[in-house]
Amino acid sequence: MKFEQAVQKSIKSFLKGDMPEKLMEMKEGGLMYTPEFFDDMQEQYKSAEAQPPEETEVDD
Amino acid sequence: MIKINAPIAGAHYTSDTRNYPWHRPPDITDYDEAVEYMIQMIDAEEKTEMVFAMLKIEAHIATVVSTLLLQVIAKGKIPIDLAILIAGPLARYVEIISEDVGIKTEMGVDNKNRMIITPTLLRTALGIVEEDEAVEQEDLMMAAPAEAPMGLMAPPNPDVAPPDEQAAMLGDVPVEEEPEDVV
Repeated sequence: MKFEQAVQKSIKSFLKGDMPEKLMEMKEGGLMYTPEFFDDMQEQYKSAEAQPPEETEVDD
Repeated sequence: MIKINAPIAGAHYTSDTRNYPWHRPPDITDYDEAVEYMIQMIDAEEKTEMVFAMLKIEAHIATVVSTLLLQVIAKGKIPIDLAILIAGPLARYVEIISEDVGIKTEMGVDNKNRMIITPTLLRTALGIVEEDEAVEQEDLMMAAPAEAPMGLMAPPNPDVAPPDEQAAMLGDVPVEEEPEDVV
């Protein structure tokens, strides 16, 4: 298997919601960058996009 | 006597491979730390430009991610196995930031007929023509002959041969009647 193929396989399983189990067991408190983390991040980006930019007052 | 073109036994013990960064212990071995390092790297202005440029020429996210990972592996920052593990989070991050700036992306994990990015393709897509090539092309244009090319492989001449020449070429040569024996 080539490196690119391994990367594709890894991406595919992450998008399915799979995480490296043993790595999660080893890490106390769990891993930070999970699929849920990125789902939240996407929501934040979308909500920030939906909000109109704040108007700044210009002093005369 | 047949000579074998191969290194002698034990030659590999004489070469010093410690100078390669990926032969030394990596700088980062933690999953979260590695993802954070890569996100910071992508957020750097130059890298962001490169990522968006690649995505704009319809490169898949998987290709972009593997390119970025190979860069850090070559520097000895992240081991290869950890790089493969963090490919998923990175692909997701690239997808989110590209969506945010309105670039249409494709993950490229299902399609086997993916576009392979070569230096030539990238140069063509970015409109980069090296100066030497440009000068050579200009020289060729300037040196183009004004006369019509001649020779066997030259394009056909628009001037058509006269009918009698054509007939001669086809072997239709008028036979002159031999005069009868003169008595």
